[in-house]
Amino acid sequence: MTAEHLCCDVAVVGAGPAGLAASLAAAEANAVVICIDQFPRAGGQYHMQPNASGTPFANTPQVQQGQQAIQACEAANVRFLTGAELFWAEPPKTPDAPFRLHLARDDQAIVIEAKTVVAATGAMERPMPFPGWTLPGVIGAGAGQRLLKTSGATCALPFEGKTVLAGSGPFLLAVASTFAKAGQGIDHFVERQPAALWTKAKAMLRHPSRLPDAIALLRDLSRTGARRHMGAIVTRAMGNGKVEAVEISPVGANGQPDLQQSFVVDGVGALCIGYGFQPVIDLTTALGAAHSYDLSLGGWYCGVDAMSGATSVSGLYAAGEVTGLGGANPARISGQLAGLHAAATCVKETSGLNDTAIQAIVTQLNKHRAFAATLAQLYPMPESFPVPLAEDDVVCRCEDVTLADINAAIAEGARENLAVKMWTRAGMGLCQGRNCGASIAATLREAGVEPEHTGYNRSHFPLRPVSARIAKEALTCEFSPD
Amino acid sequence: MTDLPTSSDVVVVGGGVIGMFIAFSLAEAGMKPLLLEARAFGGAVTGGSLAAIGTHMHGREEFDILAYARGRWRAFSDASQDRIEYNACGKMGFILNDAELAAGKSLVAQEKSQGARSELLTPEQARLHEPLLKGPILAATFDPDTATVNPFLAVRALMKAARKAGAQLRENTPVARVLSDAGLVTGVQTASGHCISAPHVVLACGPWTAKLAANFDINLSIVPRQAQCLASIRQPLGTLHKVISSCEAEGGVDSGYTQIQQCPSGQILFNTVTAPIPTPEGAEDRVGEVPPGFVADSVETLLKLFPALKSLPILRSWVRFEGVTPDARFLAGPLPTAGLFVCAGDNGSGFCRAPLLAQFIADGITGAGTLPDAMRRDTERLYNPFRFSEGHTA
Repeated sequence: MTAEHLCCDVAVVGAGPAGLAASLAAAEANAVVICIDQFPRAGGQYHMQPNASGTPFANTPQVQQGQQAIQACEAANVRFLTGAELFWAEPPKTPDAPFRLHLARDDQAIVIEAKTVVAATGAMERPMPFPGWTLPGVIGAGAGQRLLKTSGATCALPFEGKTVLAGSGPFLLAVASTFAKAGQGIDHFVERQPAALWTKAKAMLRHPSRLPDAIALLRDLSRTGARRHMGAIVTRAMGNGKVEAVEISPVGANGQPDLQQSFVVDGVGALCIGYGFQPVIDLTTALGAAHSYDLSLGGWYCGVDAMSGATSVSGLYAAGEVTGLGGANPARISGQLAGLHAAATCVKETSGLNDTAIQAIVTQLNKHRAFAATLAQLYPMPESFPVPLAEDDVVCRCEDVTLADINAAIAEGARENLAVKMWTRAGMGLCQGRNCGASIAATLREAGVEPEHTGYNRSHFPLRPVSARIAKEALTCEFSPD
Repeated sequence: MTDLPTSSDVVVVGGGVIGMFIAFSLAEAGMKPLLLEARAFGGAVTGGSLAAIGTHMHGREEFDILAYARGRWRAFSDASQDRIEYNACGKMGFILNDAELAAGKSLVAQEKSQGARSELLTPEQARLHEPLLKGPILAATFDPDTATVNPFLAVRALMKAARKAGAQLRENTPVARVLSDAGLVTGVQTASGHCISAPHVVLACGPWTAKLAANFDINLSIVPRQAQCLASIRQPLGTLHKVISSCEAEGGVDSGYTQIQQCPSGQILFNTVTAPIPTPEGAEDRVGEVPPGFVADSVETLLKLFPALKSLPILRSWVRFEGVTPDARFLAGPLPTAGLFVCAGDNGSGFCRAPLLAQFIADGITGAGTLPDAMRRDTERLYNPFRFSEGHTA
């Protein structure tokens, strides 16, 4: 077998809000666009399309907006390659040469030559370990939402027992809203930040257009029937072979949980927990773009030019969460910006970019970014472990590395992510450090190394595990001249 | 770094397996060495090593030296309660054509005459050791005494032992230049401007060693060469048993080589290099990516020998830079500036020589006679930094 060979002007990686907007903008500017996504259907997490008809999700605005965006892309001749795993990307060998993207899809190798690339790779959960976090039934808040949306006609999580939704941030409200739409109850809602109604109200009043959304989310939370614990965190998950009980503790004035006042919820079947997200930077780091660290943007993110979405690598643009967390609105607008500029660099017959229109897009983007910054301030992500860990708690679950292992490495001189990884194998496993990177940074931080000095696991070939045969087929693909 | 001392008995520049073993040997000999590593300990050529230790396929001249070094590794492993994953797995050289067969036969005869337990295996015999080796081999060389260690843990254990013996080790401390006065080494200056006085300095900075020596108009024949490797997702232990290597008929590494092995984590590590890859600009500061042709060649060789691994999922790749010399041997010994020593030029196989070279350098500095006279003389001759005519231009 040989690899399938495709060519395009703009390859958009990711079919979420940013990727769909980038694809449409580029295609409407007469670029030949291919949009790839690892999931079976375009839409990403935000616009996730239901996998059964007639579920309560089918009529939600997120699904319908996604459907419209996908249809608009199709009408503009965007070619979607879904269910495709991007396992490698090569930058142009010469200034005029294309990028090469290598994909595996249905056990077949595909190679795309693209004049420009828009990275719209989104965000992933930023798991923080706590005692009991590896028990079955303990899942990320985002994973909980995805399970619910893709549970087909049953429209329920596959766990018996009470449901606890815990962590921090407005995303928890979005997950609660998904539960409400699915007609599913939540038993306990645990938010690390105190209620602080006055502070939140003041912040929201600076963005009055967002008030209806906020009110709707709070109403949905009420509909789930959840008992609310504000200013509290889950300090332990307990159970025999799976989660059965959850310990909840109030957070004291020093920011630490007060275990003296903890209480236990029994009969738990699912603990959905999330302390925030982080940009998915595999593609952009592999292609050599410059990245920076800002906790309020999710940690390490890909830097872009504010007026164009251009990264530090010529021909590579980035949009959405990979450029720093902000939510669906900035994602969509930054996608449009990046798509327009990516197309303009490779399509000769465009009339060129309209400066006034670009300025209007940038103004919109900044407005939405400002709102995201307000939320990030209200719900700061924890940079240290929210719950003190015991020495035998697992930090890297791929390789079963405990806090004690990592602390021993630090005591012997490991001062960065790479050194911890070499000596403990934390980050050498299947996830290649995506899941444990923030935890290793948190451990190093306790030893006095700030996260911006810890570094990150820059991606190397392959971005995702790939079979030897497919790798060889893709990498030996010969190109016939156009 | 504010906690750097202002003076030291001896400064070792470079915290890979070579520098760390030297610091350890010096400290064991009673000195108080200070080791300065530009980035992370064991993070570059050492961390990317497959760390095979033994005599097989290294030629007649270095045989005794490598046998000594293997003994030292085994002793070090015992002393560190095997936290370095010392694994005496044996090494097999696969033979695909008549030229390689002739080379393999003479290799085995030579090693046997020097006391090795090497043998030439038929394909059937080879498969008794390595059941999945179903590829079209004509024969295989085999040495049961080759071992591997975990390169990361080996450096970590060396660090621990060196510190315990009195060495000071500092990472993220690049050395900008070596200081001298009237033909005598006086110390080093770090990139941040800190000066450390020392009567002895050892350059053990792998592929980048020549840069520091160039300040003295000493032209060391070491150039960086890119090398790379692929690693699979963990496979059941016992999928592979031996270090599998190509049996090179001629030309050594430059004409291509293959190494395949399963490490104790279960991951299968493999690489096939058919031609040298030029070192890209700025390689010292930013490690690049494996070339596509390398992945294709490595997969092709792997699947030719082990067809059952065709769906093996590749998890990771890495690139490193080896220090290459014209005759593929280290440069080790004193340099014309009194007090300055070099120990670099791994040519991709520093682990199997590290204990010997470290003892040789430590003896040279302390004046002790730890090594047998004959071995010391052989080491002086084989690794003489100025064995190439253009060596010293001062």
